[in-house]
Amino acid sequence: MATAVMTTLDPRSRAAARGMSDISIRNLFIIPTILFLIVFNIFPLLYSLGYSFTDFRASGNAAANFVGLQNYRTLLNDPFIWNNFVITAKYVVVSVIGQVVVGFGTAMLLNRDIPLKGLITTLLLLPMMLSMAVVGLFWKLLYDPSFGIINYALGLGKFEWLSNPDMALYAVALTDIWMWSPFVMLLSLAGLSAVPKHLYEAAAIDRAGPLYTFFRITLPLVAPILMIAVIFRTMEAFKTFDLAYILTSQPTTEVISIRLYKMAFQEWQTGLSCALAYIVLIMVLAITNIYVKYLNKVKER
Amino acid sequence: MRKKLTGILAGMALTLASGTSVYAQELTIFWAEWDPANYLQELVNIYEAETGVKVTVETTPWSDFQTKAFTEFNAKGSAYDMVVGDSQWIGAASEAGHYVDLTDFFNKHNLNEVMAPATVKYYAEYPSNSGKYWSIPAEGDAVGWSYRKDWFEDPTEMANFKAKYGYDLAPPATWAQMRDIAEFFHRPDQNRYGIAIYTDNSYDGLVMGVENAIFSYGGELGDYATYKVDGIINSEQNVKALEMYRELYGFTPPGWAKTFFVENNQAITENLAAMSMNYFAFFPALVNEASNPNAKGTGFFANPAGPDGHQFAALGGQGISVVSYSQNQEESMKFLEWFIKDETQKKWAELGGYTASAKVLESPEFQNATPYNKAFYETMFKVKDFWATPEYAELLIQMNQRIYPYITAGQGTAKEALDNLAGDWNATFKKYNRH
Amino acid sequence: MAAVQTTSERVLNRVAIVAVLVVTLIFLAPIYWIASTAFKPRNLATTIPPTVVFTPEISPFVKLMVRRSQMREQPSAEEYAAAPWWEQMVMDGGEKVVRDGKGEVQLSGYPNRFMNSLIVAITSTVLAVGMGTFTAYGFSRFKVKGEADLLFFILSTRMLPPVVVAIPMFLMYRAVGLNDTHWGLIILYTAFNLSFSVWLMKGFMDEIPKEYEEAALVDGYTRMQAFFKIVLPEAATGIAATAVFCFITAWNEYAFALIMTNRRAQTAPPFIPSQVGSGLPDWTVIAAGTLLFLLPVAIFTFLLRNHLLRGVTFGAIRK
Repeated sequence: MATAVMTTLDPRSRAAARGMSDISIRNLFIIPTILFLIVFNIFPLLYSLGYSFTDFRASGNAAANFVGLQNYRTLLNDPFIWNNFVITAKYVVVSVIGQVVVGFGTAMLLNRDIPLKGLITTLLLLPMMLSMAVVGLFWKLLYDPSFGIINYALGLGKFEWLSNPDMALYAVALTDIWMWSPFVMLLSLAGLSAVPKHLYEAAAIDRAGPLYTFFRITLPLVAPILMIAVIFRTMEAFKTFDLAYILTSQPTTEVISIRLYKMAFQEWQTGLSCALAYIVLIMVLAITNIYVKYLNKVKER
Repeated sequence: MRKKLTGILAGMALTLASGTSVYAQELTIFWAEWDPANYLQELVNIYEAETGVKVTVETTPWSDFQTKAFTEFNAKGSAYDMVVGDSQWIGAASEAGHYVDLTDFFNKHNLNEVMAPATVKYYAEYPSNSGKYWSIPAEGDAVGWSYRKDWFEDPTEMANFKAKYGYDLAPPATWAQMRDIAEFFHRPDQNRYGIAIYTDNSYDGLVMGVENAIFSYGGELGDYATYKVDGIINSEQNVKALEMYRELYGFTPPGWAKTFFVENNQAITENLAAMSMNYFAFFPALVNEASNPNAKGTGFFANPAGPDGHQFAALGGQGISVVSYSQNQEESMKFLEWFIKDETQKKWAELGGYTASAKVLESPEFQNATPYNKAFYETMFKVKDFWATPEYAELLIQMNQRIYPYITAGQGTAKEALDNLAGDWNATFKKYNRH
Repeated sequence: MAAVQTTSERVLNRVAIVAVLVVTLIFLAPIYWIASTAFKPRNLATTIPPTVVFTPEISPFVKLMVRRSQMREQPSAEEYAAAPWWEQMVMDGGEKVVRDGKGEVQLSGYPNRFMNSLIVAITSTVLAVGMGTFTAYGFSRFKVKGEADLLFFILSTRMLPPVVVAIPMFLMYRAVGLNDTHWGLIILYTAFNLSFSVWLMKGFMDEIPKEYEEAALVDGYTRMQAFFKIVLPEAATGIAATAVFCFITAWNEYAFALIMTNRRAQTAPPFIPSQVGSGLPDWTVIAAGTLLFLLPVAIFTFLLRNHLLRGVTFGAIRK
């Protein structure tokens, strides 16, 4: 890895003569980080890759047996697991779209002459500063049909947010939207405030309608940063565990991380769970890769 | 400002570097975060006063207890000298060598007779009837019921009940009566509901709840010696028991689909339900007026009998084991010797712990100490437990997957759910060559 | 906005202000509810309709700080009278203070864990932001073979579900003795935040014109001097924004804190929910723990709010 980054520098560089050379500075700046990430990410990853081909159980002392692709076959033939993936996909789509709509919408509103903008922005960020576990606990109480204030405030009577199998996943997503829309809002706001004003003025002179202005000027210019928000939120939503685990225990809300957790830390099927983790990882990698390719394309425009 | 900052940084550096202890001898006991752990801390304070050995009871939330304990065991960690572990763990922990074999200690102190028989059988011995012991029964526990005595003793309610069902309103003696009473008090328009039961399927809540019905209906989960489950887990009685549980679910407060001990106690304190299933260990909060406004109107009864007169309850509770990787095993054994003494056990019960010592349990002082101790004493001699094999967690999760949709959403039938479960369990036992 | 506003613009702006207020109120309602619960007496925590007017109490905070256990009976009048005010507060809730072998009041895990959280979160934030800044500069200014792949690799380290790496990590930590140490968590959180930090800072570095350093190099600065004296001050805004995000993540991390640490180094997030564990949940104490725990991040964010907006652009916006 260290030699791979070695390459010739900009010939106009003047630093070579004094102090450290640019090459050594570059290596000094980059290599420690890469090495650090390799040790703390790649090593455990290889470790679990190895386990994923065995019947290893971390709870016992029995030696691990090599079982080839058996774990992967078992998982892909398990209807419960497929169901977990479908649930996860649904959850990711609902919560990420929700966050983008709410977050971006709020940013559009805030991108005007609003008094106390700085304070309001900071206040809006409060939900994402809480820990997931705490958010889960309190929202479980908020949703409670008997003493939750959501039903009281909305006049919904005894509406069962979390124990209705068809509603529960959306209730979890709603909590996630509450918690993380501010993140999307912050990024969108940064993007919006960087759109040059003269573009809007030009559009106004051309008597362009608000829709035209939005789709032709605002959106394309904010798209790159919005994409980044979407990438990070998708990755996190795919990994969602605490929220869904604490809020409900419906089979309809068993996202893949919950299954993974149970397999790894309740059943202690270490080998099998490592295989499942790899399937998850490959999916996240694939999705993120598509996003990043798209992001680069958007940036070039 | 700069000076202050340097001070803080220096302080942080010191904290980062330090970590040594001032005590010559320390022992750490690991348990879940709940009141009995606090009572145990008070108990071991006495040990410290007597011997100078500092004992710390370290806790973690119930939801993480199993994960944390086994992660530590699996890494052969010496952070804990002793652990007060769940009864189902004993198979996994003993087969993997995480627990020290306490058979000699057990026989030497004749604990077979000192401790209540059910606690010995389920907390200490593995495999069943092998005569090998891995832990000392520490906190006895089982499922019992609390109920609203004030509602039950209301003359109008009593008259209405008698008129409707033809017998007197009283704490139920059978599950059928319990169903009637739950139905009777289930009045959603008054924000009053019949019954609170366990439904949380993220670990063992729901299964423990259902076990109370299954065992009292005369059913079993399987033959723990031969691993035979066909015709046992999906037996006629079990189907009936599961159907009863599903019916009771219809009389629970709204949103009662992920409930365990916390919610069930709240059902009493918040005036939600007439009867509530819970472990005895969680009852202290219900008899204190400061924590339960209805304390005066709260009563307790043992798990009722099934249609054929069988009466059993699901076992909770834990035994205390010495961790194989502890560097203080000798000190730990000394501590255990102190712990099993009669006077220690008596003190343990006084502090609020549920002793497993037969002598203390039988004493009138114990039985009259609280409104629920009598029910506890009766229950502790008729308890049964879940599988304790190392793969118990897989069995547990399979059971959750099969019965939860039936109980809370009415999907399929009880028979289908249990037939499927028998298939899952057979496959699992086959995988581990148990047959 | 344009200097001259039409009437419809003005109306639209009014509407936007109202809408912002509504959104803010909705988002803050749960936070307000948590904050107010932290000062309620226990019996008012879950009332319906919710109690809005009440005499604030500090008893939840007192209870949060000491180790308590449930009592079966009320204390006797003499016992109650002899107890100091804070112990009476605990007794009012039906609990008693747990004392150690020497009769001294035992603190709950909270104060200690709060300190641990501060140590771990601050140190790991400094490290992640520091390393991220250097690395981002490296990627931004120098040609690196396979730059896109390396950057994607860095991003990918954040995609792993924690469960994947938890077991190997634990075994590895055990082997080198990093278990239950502050450094263990610091290293983990640094690794976890580094990807975010590199990506954010890279965007920011790209925006700082190269000409600034070129000029400095001509003036006789070394590259290092140029970096520290010219680039870093320019990057302050980005650094602040990155720091806020890293701090929030490290401050609230739960899973690894739970698995990797015990008594000595465990942080506060696993502790707060544990307050539910006993026979009855005391929501006021959970709320108090949550509120106190929110303060450092909220203050930190508020102080850096002006940098935050400019800082999060990831270089996605070109000049």
